[in-house]
Amino acid sequence: MTFSTIIVRGLLRRPVRTGLTLFGISIGIAAVVALVGISQGFETSWGVGMRTRHIDIVVSTLGSAITPKPFDVSVRDRVAAVPQVTATCSLFVDFTSIEDSPMMIVSAREWGGFSWQHLKLLSGRMPKDAMEPAVVLGRTAAETLNKKMGDPIQIEIKELTVVGIVDGGALVENGSVILSLPLMQEITGNDGKINIIDVRVKPGLGEDELQRVCEQINSVVPEARAMAAGEHISNSEAYRFVRAMSWSTSLLAVIVGVLGVMNTMLMTVFERKQEICILLAIGWKRTRIMLMILGESALLGMLGGFMGVLIGVLGVKAIHNLPGIRGLLDPDLSPRLFFTSVAISIIVGVLSGLYPAWRSSRLTPSLALQG
Amino acid sequence: MKTLHRMLLHAIAASFVSAAEPATPAMSASELAARLNAFQQDGSSHVRLKMEIQGATKTVLQLQIKQRRTSASTEIVYQVLWPKERMGGSVLLRKFGNQAATGTLFVPPGPLRTLDAAQMKEPLFGSDLSHADVIENFFAWERQTIVGTEIVDRVSCQVLESKPGGGERSPYAAVRSWIDVRRLVPLRVEKYAASGQLVRRIDTTRVVTSDGRHLPANLTVSSPQKGSFTELDGSRLKRGVSYADREFTPDGLKEVTTPRSTPE
Repeated sequence: MTFSTIIVRGLLRRPVRTGLTLFGISIGIAAVVALVGISQGFETSWGVGMRTRHIDIVVSTLGSAITPKPFDVSVRDRVAAVPQVTATCSLFVDFTSIEDSPMMIVSAREWGGFSWQHLKLLSGRMPKDAMEPAVVLGRTAAETLNKKMGDPIQIEIKELTVVGIVDGGALVENGSVILSLPLMQEITGNDGKINIIDVRVKPGLGEDELQRVCEQINSVVPEARAMAAGEHISNSEAYRFVRAMSWSTSLLAVIVGVLGVMNTMLMTVFERKQEICILLAIGWKRTRIMLMILGESALLGMLGGFMGVLIGVLGVKAIHNLPGIRGLLDPDLSPRLFFTSVAISIIVGVLSGLYPAWRSSRLTPSLALQG
Repeated sequence: MKTLHRMLLHAIAASFVSAAEPATPAMSASELAARLNAFQQDGSSHVRLKMEIQGATKTVLQLQIKQRRTSASTEIVYQVLWPKERMGGSVLLRKFGNQAATGTLFVPPGPLRTLDAAQMKEPLFGSDLSHADVIENFFAWERQTIVGTEIVDRVSCQVLESKPGGGERSPYAAVRSWIDVRRLVPLRVEKYAASGQLVRRIDTTRVVTSDGRHLPANLTVSSPQKGSFTELDGSRLKRGVSYADREFTPDGLKEVTTPRSTPE
C-alpha cells in the first residue's frame, strides 16, 4: 500500500462526512468563482468596450458616483491640444431608469465622433443628423426595453424613435441607449456639458508614455482626471467597492470551509488515534504522520476546489441566463480565476489540516494499548 | 428575480455610501428634529424617479420633482413624464409658514383643480403616498420626543416621535421615525391616525451620498390597511437648480419642462 493510497483510504473511510465536507468547501469556492468572476467581468467588459472603440485614455470625473459629474465641453479642446493626442470624442453618459425598465446606460456621443464608428448596425439605420429625435439601441438594451426599430422611446420629457439596433462589440455598449450628444444636452438641459472624453493617442505608445500623456492632460484639465482606458473603471470607488464586497463575501465563505475541513480532520485524528499510534509503533516518523493528515486535508481542499469551480461556473451560467439579468453580466470565468480558486482551496485544506496534524504528532505508540 | 437584479445594480450603486464617518454626538429630540428639518430646507432641486405602484394592478410612472424649500416656504411640483398617456399629469403643493398646505392638480387636458383639505389626503397619482405626505414636514413640528433606540437593517436608530402642536395641522396624530443618527437619515417612518392605527409606513431601501450628504434614494411606502405598496427609485438629483417663479404656479403646471444647467 503506497502513502497516497493511505491518504485516499483515510478519506473514503467516512464517505458521507467526506462528501459533506467537500460540499461545504466547494460552496465557499463556488462563491469565490461566482462573485469574483462577476466583479472581474464587470471590469473586463469595460476594458473590452474601450478597446472596441480604440480608446487609449478616458478623461472624466468618475469618483464615488455611478456616473461622472458634468463639466464644460471646452475641456475637450484643452485635451485635444495636448501633444500625442490624435483624436477626442466627447460624451455625456447617464445611468437612469427609462420607461418601466430598470436603470440603464444612456450614452450620448459627439456627433461624428469616433465613438460611433465601431457600432455595427444589426437592423435599421444610424440617426441622420445630430438633432434628429432618434436613438440606436445596443442589442441587449433593445431586449431589456422590449423595443424594435420604429418604436417610440421616452428619455426625460422627449419622445424619440428607435431607428436602429446595433452591436457594440462589448457588454457595456450592447446594454446602452445611444444618441447624439447635442440631442441629449437639449433633452436633459445640460447645454454645453459633457462628463467623459474618450481620447486616442499616437499609435505605438508604451505604458509609461501613456501615463505621461495622462499627466499632461491632468495638468491642463484640473476639473477632470485622465486615466488609461480600463484603469479608470478599476480605480472608481464604485468598482473598488464591488470588488472588495465580492472578495470579502468570498473570504467569509472560505472561512466557513476552513472550519469544516478542520472539524473533519480533527474528528479523523480522534477516531484513528489507535491506527496512528500503531503506525508510530511500527516505525512511522511523526513528520510522516503529519504529512498523512496534511495530505488528506489538502486532497479534500483540492477536490472541494474542483467541485467549487464547477458549481460556481454552473451557478454563474444559471444567473446569467435569468430573464432579468440577461445582458447585464459578462462574468470573467478565466482559467486564471479557476487556478486561483483551486489554489485557494488547497491552501485552505492545508491550513485547516495544520492543527489536526499537530495533534496527531503528539500521540504516542503506548496510547494504542489503551484502546 | 427582480430582487437579484436590484442587488446587482445596487451593488454598483452601493459605492455611494461613504466608508468612515465621525460618530454624531448624542442629540436631544429637538436638536435631532431641528437638524433633520434643516436638511429639508435645502433650496432648489430637481429629482428624477421611478414610481412603481403595486396594488391590484402594477403601475409604473416616471416622474420629475421640482422643489424649492426654504425655512419660510415649501413649493413642490410632481409631474408625470411617462407613460405617454399620463404625461403632463401634475400636482403643485405649497406651504407657507404655519399656514395650511395647499394643492393644485392638473390632469391633461385640464382643467386645473384646487385640492381641498380632504383631497390633500388622497393618493398622489394613485400611489400609497398622499398629497399631504409629500408636503408635510413633521420634523418641523414642536412636539418631538425620543422614544427609544432600535436596530433597522443592522443600523442602530433613534426612534423620534413627532406630534403636531397646537397651530400645526396634519392628517396624522403621530409620526415615528427611525433615524440613523450617524448619517442623519430616516430609515423608517410610520404614521399613525388618532386611533393609534398605523396608516402609512415608509422604509428607506437605499441611501446615497450627494455632495457629502446622505439621502434616501429608494423608498417603499406601504399602506397596511389597503395592503398595497409603492416603490420609489430615485435615479437623479440636481441641486442648485434655477427655476422660474411661473413653474410653481397653477398655470406653470400645464407645461412639462426640464431645468437647464446653469453656466459655472
